[in-house]
Amino acid sequence: MSLRYLSRQSLQALFTIVMIVLLNFVLFRMMPGSPERILFRNPNLTQEALAAIRERWGLDQPLFPDQFFAYIVATLQGDLGDSYKFIGQPVIEVISERFWPTMILLGLGEMIAVVVGLALGSYTGWRRGGLVDRVGNGFSLVFYSMPYFVIGMPLIIIFATGLGWFPTSGMFTLGATYDSFLDQLLDFLHHLVLPLITVSIGLIGGYSILMRSSIVETRSEDYIGTARAKGLTDARILRHHAFPNALLPVVTLIAINLGYVVAGAITAEVVFNWPGLGTLTVDALNARDYPVLQGVFLFLGISVVLANLAADVVYGFLDPRVRR
Amino acid sequence: MRAPVSHRFVRLLAGLGLAGALLLPALALPARAADEKLVLRVGTSQDLDAMNPFNTALVTGFEVFTLNYDLLVNWGGDLEPVPGFAESWTQSADGLTWTFKIPSGMKWSDGTPATAEDARWTLQFVLDGVNSEAGYIGLGYIDYYLANAGVTEITAPDETTLVLKTDRPNTQVLQMYIPILPKHVWQDQTLDTVADFTNDVPIVGSGPYQAVEWQKGQYVRFVKNPNWTGPELAADEVFIQIFKNADTQYQAFRSGELDYSSVNGDQFAALAGEANVVTVAGVGNGFTELGFNAYSKPIEGGGASTKALQDPAFRDAIGYAVDKELLVERAIKGFGEVGTTHVPTFQTKWHVEPTALRTFNIETAKQKLEAAGYVLDGEGRRLDKEGKALDLRLYMPDSEEYYATSAQFVQDWLSQLGIKVTTQVFDSGTLTTLMLPPEAGDPANKADYDLFIWAWGGDVDPNSLLEIFTCSNIGSSSDSNYCSARYDELFDLQNKAPSDEERKGYMAEMQQMIYDEAPYHILFYDGNPIAYHTDRFTGWKNQPASNGVPLFGYGSYGYWQIKAVSAATPAPSATSAPIASGAPTPAPSAGGGTGGGGSDNALLLAAGAVAVVLLVVAILLVRRRSGGPTEEE
Repeated sequence: MSLRYLSRQSLQALFTIVMIVLLNFVLFRMMPGSPERILFRNPNLTQEALAAIRERWGLDQPLFPDQFFAYIVATLQGDLGDSYKFIGQPVIEVISERFWPTMILLGLGEMIAVVVGLALGSYTGWRRGGLVDRVGNGFSLVFYSMPYFVIGMPLIIIFATGLGWFPTSGMFTLGATYDSFLDQLLDFLHHLVLPLITVSIGLIGGYSILMRSSIVETRSEDYIGTARAKGLTDARILRHHAFPNALLPVVTLIAINLGYVVAGAITAEVVFNWPGLGTLTVDALNARDYPVLQGVFLFLGISVVLANLAADVVYGFLDPRVRR
Repeated sequence: MRAPVSHRFVRLLAGLGLAGALLLPALALPARAADEKLVLRVGTSQDLDAMNPFNTALVTGFEVFTLNYDLLVNWGGDLEPVPGFAESWTQSADGLTWTFKIPSGMKWSDGTPATAEDARWTLQFVLDGVNSEAGYIGLGYIDYYLANAGVTEITAPDETTLVLKTDRPNTQVLQMYIPILPKHVWQDQTLDTVADFTNDVPIVGSGPYQAVEWQKGQYVRFVKNPNWTGPELAADEVFIQIFKNADTQYQAFRSGELDYSSVNGDQFAALAGEANVVTVAGVGNGFTELGFNAYSKPIEGGGASTKALQDPAFRDAIGYAVDKELLVERAIKGFGEVGTTHVPTFQTKWHVEPTALRTFNIETAKQKLEAAGYVLDGEGRRLDKEGKALDLRLYMPDSEEYYATSAQFVQDWLSQLGIKVTTQVFDSGTLTTLMLPPEAGDPANKADYDLFIWAWGGDVDPNSLLEIFTCSNIGSSSDSNYCSARYDELFDLQNKAPSDEERKGYMAEMQQMIYDEAPYHILFYDGNPIAYHTDRFTGWKNQPASNGVPLFGYGSYGYWQIKAVSAATPAPSATSAPIASGAPTPAPSAGGGTGGGGSDNALLLAAGAVAVVLLVVAILLVRRRSGGPTEEE
């Protein structure tokens, strides 16, 4: 891996992040509806009071240059401002409270989906037309096209309300006292099962479908024929010749998806009342909480860019042709 | 052929798969055993915005602060004044001076003595806000109770006496939704700093329960106030849990994870007959209206599309084309009442039915329109007096589905009159900006709409709903931009009326006036369907008894009525697994109703099945067929 390749990719990433910061400001100011009004369908709020609220939040200043430069300077200093909705709370604090729930749910979900999806995809692709392919591919297509809440709600109705095996929602049992950290961890994991299954099932399809088509393509390559002519077993050809080559396009998908992990899975989080960044985004959007929205999007933008950068680097390892 | 990377990768994948498969049974452990605490769990769809009472704009915020803090005077079962921070009160002969007795020896939840000085400090702080340049404090949702009561002077001559002087005799002093705050915690706050004060948990208060934990967007946890002097409290802890999704909330209620929950019409019906579940079809303190843009001046690039909307005769005629009974049946599934005046029936004391009610009849509507000068053209289109075909824009917010349902009906009825209606849904913020007139002060405010469907919620006192139609509220809360000198005069008169009878007299005229002139057609008084479980708590009381619901009413009344089910041996309901029975104390099962012995085996079976599936997948991936030729690398 050449230093030139690395630095070029890094510079591109940096440039993209700067553009995100700029776009972030413009985007949220273009949305209709004014933030100081959303909270205040208050029969007793006078115009003077509204004016005072605007002043307090700097909304009375012109968008450009005042609000814009204030935004740039503060962002550079790592100050994302205070939430409009949660009055007095810094954005960083609001976001960081929601960070780990999302990372755990989506991060684990991605891991399971990658493992199962790639396994399913490569097997079904290799045995195209077989029973496993027909079932597996059908499974992938169906769940790939399903929104999380369609997967999640039946799980809640059957396994939580109906059978009572799992809690319906949330991250912990309300009012529980824990004897030990292990107890608390187990309670958390108990709550994690259904949302995790939902997210995993929803993600498996994408990986499986891509992996399958990639394997199918690879199967007709000459080197597979060569390997076969050498008398290698099917399994060995799949593992050593087809799978590694078919993996390349999938790596991109994995990287992009990992970047989006911090966005949370909005519908999955909403259905399971999971206090992650996805539900925070929805709440902030509804409340016109510009600072929180900006924070979330900035965070998301940066992580997508970084994940792509990571993908480029990994690509360089996997495929010598791009390493220049 | 290079392959070591992929070798490792495949093994890593397989390893992860195996680990996942093995871990799953552990994840599927049943919920933890029952605790000794008795916990009340209340579900709501509305997030809490602030722990600081001055900074909340939401019903949940009011519920939270009335648990944390006493009001000077609380509300009782029929919304009558009952002891709160003050145990008794007297009004002077001239009606201008109120003397409140604060119990001696009362303590805040942290053990600090609670005295009249705390009440004086709090109310003076609010009064300073009212008298400040801004005219409000925090978000401005609390201070106006003091302003409406006309309080001018607050003194605490001794530790147990609080004296309020008012500018006129009235009883609104007893209805102030203002939490009495502990001076020793709040005294450093000024009008400038309070808007940023987060009032972090644990809270020090004098209410029945104090918030000790707030997980934003998830729940608020309260513990019993050790120094509470009111009726005995059954629950040791209270959780107010926030749900993003009504279906999830409903499932949480059915599975027993919630003791109390708001429900929608379909859920309400589905819960009927379920064991240990009581459903209450309460009526909300508010209404949903079809409103008209009656703004009277031309607005460049905005305003209503026709002057007909300013004409009471036109609005009156439209009223005959609105079948409110059908709307109650279809739009809100029978949960609610047909609306008439803008003081809802919930406010039994003040609601006055108008004389000469309109009855739904399209023909009458047509005749009234013709009589008022709105005739049809050759193509069957209804024309305004300027000769332009009426083509009205009906807007509504996206906050309730039934706005859009109602709008479809209205659209159809008006089309039968030859009036074209186009409907559009907005988010509340956008719609507010769109509907405000230039008086609101923003260039974007152009009152650019014709009709709207939206809703209002009221206080115990009708003032906040009456005020919507005053001229001075054009540019703030008046969304019809209705203005009438007589109405303003009546508003003032009722506000200063020395007796309730006299006040109600003025109010009757106001209600009749708005009904007749119809800047709003009040479509219905929204229902407030809720459900609660009776296997752990009993003694639930509706507030008010006639048409209210137990919680999320006014003040903390509902929470002190609830009793624990003693020596709990709750029968398993149709939907929840049995919880530990025969326990000496009522035993809330963690996770409510999960973890019964019977379900454990099934649980492990299921977890095992999932594990096996994962295992097979993992094995398929790493399977090495033995005996075949190997590759030379």
